[in-house]
Amino acid sequence: MVDRIEIVGIGRTCAKERWTRGLVDLAVEAAGAALDDGGGVSPSAVIVSNALGGALGDQQNLGTFTASHIGLGKVETHSVSSDEASGGAALRLASALVGAGMHEAVLVVGAEKTSDALPDELESVRANGLDATREAGFGFGPAVASGLGMQRYVAQHGIDRSLFYHLASTAHLHGARNPFAFLPWELSFDQYIHSPVLADPLTVCDLAPNCDGGAAVLIRKGSERSSSSVNILGSASVSAPTGISEPIISLSLGAAAHCATLALRDAGLSIGDLSFLDLHDSSSFIAALSIEAVGLAKPGEALLLAKDGHFRFDGPAPLWTFGGLKARGNAPGADGLYQVVEATLQLRGDAGKSQIDGADRAFVQCLGSFGATAVAHVLG
Amino acid sequence: MHFARSWRQQSSNLRLVGSRCASCDAIFFPERIRCTGCGSSELKDYRLSGRGTISTVTRVFEAPRGFESQVPYFAALVELEEGPIICAMLTDVDQEDVSVGKKVSMVTRRILAHGDDGPIIYAYKFTPELEG
Ligand SMILES: [Zn+2]
Repeated sequence: MVDRIEIVGIGRTCAKERWTRGLVDLAVEAAGAALDDGGGVSPSAVIVSNALGGALGDQQNLGTFTASHIGLGKVETHSVSSDEASGGAALRLASALVGAGMHEAVLVVGAEKTSDALPDELESVRANGLDATREAGFGFGPAVASGLGMQRYVAQHGIDRSLFYHLASTAHLHGARNPFAFLPWELSFDQYIHSPVLADPLTVCDLAPNCDGGAAVLIRKGSERSSSSVNILGSASVSAPTGISEPIISLSLGAAAHCATLALRDAGLSIGDLSFLDLHDSSSFIAALSIEAVGLAKPGEALLLAKDGHFRFDGPAPLWTFGGLKARGNAPGADGLYQVVEATLQLRGDAGKSQIDGADRAFVQCLGSFGATAVAHVLG
Repeated sequence: MHFARSWRQQSSNLRLVGSRCASCDAIFFPERIRCTGCGSSELKDYRLSGRGTISTVTRVFEAPRGFESQVPYFAALVELEEGPIICAMLTDVDQEDVSVGKKVSMVTRRILAHGDDGPIIYAYKFTPELEG
């Protein structure tokens, strides 16, 4: 990264179903919190990320509507949509605007309103984040794709499917400490193993729950003055050929792996320098491949490391310290920004019961379209 | 779904017509208008045989909108003998017939009905080939 980008303000909404809040309201609530936290820094541009709103019949051109509803006049606005990678993509574009000297400060907001839609309608719209014609159009949604992936993962690596429990239980262990989480409780093995099968062997407990959410980050060109500030040390975004078959057949996420390498190189760090991480866990399958993609585990070993407590808050590589998508909740268009907000809380030492001791370097990565889009940020 | 969209997909849905690159011979399904291998835009329609093997398969108990009536169904990745991998449902199949490596072939079935007055989509599903 050429210039330091500083995170000066953060905000997020509680990831529960919010019957009284619409899509724009969620964006405004999170944006307002980030501005309040921002020490008077005033953005001259606003970028809003959202994955599903337009397809669910909700507000379009969210950038302009959000800016208007928070009372920011005459600012540059954009709307970004890259499936569940939308939030990360928006932050990367905002950083580019600041890095290029086009704006001093930019407000990045992610929002998603899932609870207005009926479950089957929501699943159909989410499925269109995969290949709308050849996958969604043939009854293949995110759950089916991950079910196929788990089938192959279990068969190829010769492991028991119940080992996937340890990914979900790690997320829930951490989510139980997060008052903003959608499912803030620990997950027992009994609950996991008896939960309803959606796409064999994938169960309800292998899939991150959809939730309502908003998360926002206010960034500005970094000043060298403050050593306590949180900065974007590096970032990258990489795409790969679309289609669910490649990740399932190869049991790997090529874009996620390459993106992680580029982002860490950009920051001048290696994976061992990180105090904690947040990776995409829209399903147990994607979570396992994400862990292996960034090099935290060898192929087929993510679940075993999780079983050994490797990714717990007190383990060597804490992961999903606020519960990840699995326990905090999946608000697709806001996912990437929740990660950044939560990482910033850790790095500030403001994470409360979720605090990782001595947290000073973070890696966050969000993925869209079953891993075909990857966006990563290194913070510190 | 719009009528124009389902009309556009007819040859691929009903006859498994993909594309073959005139420059590098790469075969694609679904059809492409530009070769993702060599960049050539000289692609010709190419009808695939409809024979393949199951790469991975899952039994689906909760389906997206429009597919509920078919639950539970088998959803598979089928590797066609020409190379492309296709997402498709299995049909006319018993649980014991479903396994990785099983040879399957294409049949045409109703995939989806869009409400009471929308188009009914017919397209490919796969069924186990008879032994011997
Ligand atoms: Zn070619």
